[in-house]
Amino acid sequence: MLINNEILDSDSESINMRNAFIDTVMSACRTREDIFILTGDAGLGVFDRFKDEYPDRFRNMGVAEQNTISFAAGLAMTGYKVFIYNIIPFVLYRCYEQVRNDICYQELPVTLVGIGSGITYAPQGMTHYSIEDIGLVQTLPNLVAISPVDPVEARVAAHYALASNKPVYVRLAKRGEPAYHSDETFDIAVPQVIKAGGGAAIVFHGSISQEVMAAYEVLKDRGSAPLVISVPTVQPLDTVSLLGMLSNVAHVVCVEEHFTNCGLGNMIVRLKAEQSAIWRLTLLGIAPHFIHKIRNCEGLRADYGISAASIVDAVESVPA
Amino acid sequence: MEDIKKYATDIRREIIEMAYRSGGPHVGSALSCADILATLYFSALRLEQWEERDIFILSKSHAAMALYATLTVKKIMSPQLLEKYSQDNGSLPAHLDVMTGQGIECSGGSLGHGFNIGLGMAFGFKSQASNRRVFALIGDGESQEGSIWEGALFAPRQGLDNFTAIMDYNNLQGYGRPDDLCNFEPVADKWRAFGWHVCETDGHDCHSILAALNENSGGKPKMVIARTVKGKGVSFMENRLIWHYYIVTEEHRAIALKELNVE
Repeated sequence: MLINNEILDSDSESINMRNAFIDTVMSACRTREDIFILTGDAGLGVFDRFKDEYPDRFRNMGVAEQNTISFAAGLAMTGYKVFIYNIIPFVLYRCYEQVRNDICYQELPVTLVGIGSGITYAPQGMTHYSIEDIGLVQTLPNLVAISPVDPVEARVAAHYALASNKPVYVRLAKRGEPAYHSDETFDIAVPQVIKAGGGAAIVFHGSISQEVMAAYEVLKDRGSAPLVISVPTVQPLDTVSLLGMLSNVAHVVCVEEHFTNCGLGNMIVRLKAEQSAIWRLTLLGIAPHFIHKIRNCEGLRADYGISAASIVDAVESVPA
Repeated sequence: MEDIKKYATDIRREIIEMAYRSGGPHVGSALSCADILATLYFSALRLEQWEERDIFILSKSHAAMALYATLTVKKIMSPQLLEKYSQDNGSLPAHLDVMTGQGIECSGGSLGHGFNIGLGMAFGFKSQASNRRVFALIGDGESQEGSIWEGALFAPRQGLDNFTAIMDYNNLQGYGRPDDLCNFEPVADKWRAFGWHVCETDGHDCHSILAALNENSGGKPKMVIARTVKGKGVSFMENRLIWHYYIVTEEHRAIALKELNVE
């Protein structure tokens, strides 16, 4: 047994990305009868109210990830809008081929709700981290992948998934992430300017937001506030908008709680090469290897150079 | 019932022709389930009201030729599509793609997927208070997939008595006999122990297949274990492992069609 999901999920915060997303989906069930939620023996307490109100539209599929994904595809083929909730390894890794063949290949409206993006589960161990999932996502055509940075983006992502007929993957944290957006009237498909600034731009996604925002405050106090851009939708990447936002900066620092060789960073490397962009590019992330260190999330971020201090250093660095 | 046997022969003839034209494998796997598909499409499945039809999923999708042939003989799929089966700039792939032809309910090619998709569909129909039923054909080799047993555990608890799995038990998978590779038998007892209503039948006797398909399952999902012969209908292919992969030559084709009495 790899995991006791219930223990992991029992530390839920009242306001976090996970709850913002799930509450939005559950609210929609009041007016939509086509929504069905599947879990894989995870999410203690999260769905209690939903199970009571809509027992016919919820199933705990047990510890059986392959069956869960294929079953969801079948449900979708009968007209249901299906959401599958589990920690990321169990919606994407264990059952990759089911996601590929049954959902993406057949273009079915199933949303994979993955919890524990990046290293938010530290120090549970490498099996529980999701620091290569965007690499897998890039091998799955038709899949829209959203990595919100705060509860507001998570809510907007939920509205997107509810309205979409496409396969969707949402990667979420649940550690009590603050909100950085003041309203919800934006398009989740488009990169978002979180803070205006210049000179350098910090581009990021997912659960690293608090480190990025702390770095921004330090840099602002030093009189060199950078442009801060979130990229909630990492696939398909809105390259036109992103390039436009970066048109006046000299240095782009991409920060992610993810492997550097297969995440947003490598997409931006490609974008820079294809567009001959003149800005300098620095990738901050986790070098691809298996993590054996037993450290909490903040400790691992410091070790891997994605803490606020490391981000400040990267932005202030001068070209070699 | 005589008609069903005749349709099964038509299906076999089309399989031989497709295998010959395409130069592709899996002719033995397709011949093995021809009588099962004929019984389903010409008797068991309710297809009259298309929007409310029963669903058949070929989970052992490498036998796609059998489904294409059946859909064509049933006049659901255009016969022109068969001409360019599994060829360059072709019409139908060697493994099912739901977007290529009328009547293909589900994509496939990797084993242990269609069965579970079928469970999801059966559950969906039940949730919608629909009387639509789902049938999924799996192979004996396919039965070794872990996903099959995940679904086997799950389905009885959900009361999916509108779901019928049929095992094409030809006792020859790609490179061996199931019971030589793993502790396959007693396979019927395994399914019973998982809470399924199990029927065993001769997979080439249409009466017997139909009786199994129609048997009351007492509120349980049903597993029909159909004993079949790989390559059935063509003497030199019958029960021979090589015909999982061998290519049908012009000479093979001529002898096979003669045996099927359709020249």
